[in-house]
Amino acid sequence: MADKQSNPLVTVAETIADNKFIMGDKLVEVGVSGPTLEASLSSISMAQGELGHARLLYRWSYEVQGLRAGKIDVKEQTGKAFSQIVNASNWVDLIAGLYVNNVAIDLVLKELMKNKKEELNAQFDKMLNEQEEHLIYAEDWSHQLINDKGAIPKRFEAQVDEAARAAAKWLDEVQNDEHLQGSGAVSKNSDLPGQFNTVINKLPLDRNVTYVG
Amino acid sequence: MSETGSENYVLFTRIKRGDDLTQVGTLRAPSDELAKLYAKQIYDEEDWVEMHVVKKSNLIPVRLPEGLLEKEGVK
Repeated sequence: MADKQSNPLVTVAETIADNKFIMGDKLVEVGVSGPTLEASLSSISMAQGELGHARLLYRWSYEVQGLRAGKIDVKEQTGKAFSQIVNASNWVDLIAGLYVNNVAIDLVLKELMKNKKEELNAQFDKMLNEQEEHLIYAEDWSHQLINDKGAIPKRFEAQVDEAARAAAKWLDEVQNDEHLQGSGAVSKNSDLPGQFNTVINKLPLDRNVTYVG
Repeated sequence: MSETGSENYVLFTRIKRGDDLTQVGTLRAPSDELAKLYAKQIYDEEDWVEMHVVKKSNLIPVRLPEGLLEKEGVK
């Protein structure tokens, strides 16, 4: 387990897995009371996807540590999930966290898959396709909440800000980790935080903010 | 969180090649993208070979049933 502490790739895998584990949990807990029947049913269906992704990533983190993964029975996260999604208690919080976190996770997974093609592509391809659908869902709902009435757009914006600050900080750590760069897992010039800001700022919020780590 | 802007979509699926394309359900969605996603996520009980969503407003009526009360002469 000493290797676990010193291997940033394990930390990256567990951070993604933890967030997906919590998102899966919240997609059921909060999503069951979604604003429409279709949104709720899809939310619960996607929860199965996110929990499956979490199991896949926990298994990969075991493999990176040279441990036998076997059947993964996840009971709790390792403590690396972002606080915004951990504390999400309503639809607005859920959609903000689901979108922002999946944008950040998508960037990191694509970066890892670009640089570790042979090791990762076969096992992560299906996950990435499913994640693309989760992103479409969260982005479409983000637009609906931004264009909603009353306090909803402002509350959504605040939740996006909170989630994006944590995600940008994580991306900055991943981007600048010497071990990840040295092992070829992350390219020096990939600018993950910059890519993240470009995507998030496409949301038609009232302002243009650069989230920094 | 209103449903403003949502439209009704009709869902058609084919189970296997050669089978009929059958209407299996309806759903409401604010965009075509979300309608496709809802269809895939909600109607996943079969491994469909083909699936389509069509905006109900895009169906061109050729013949429609007469209103029941009207048919029975109730004013």
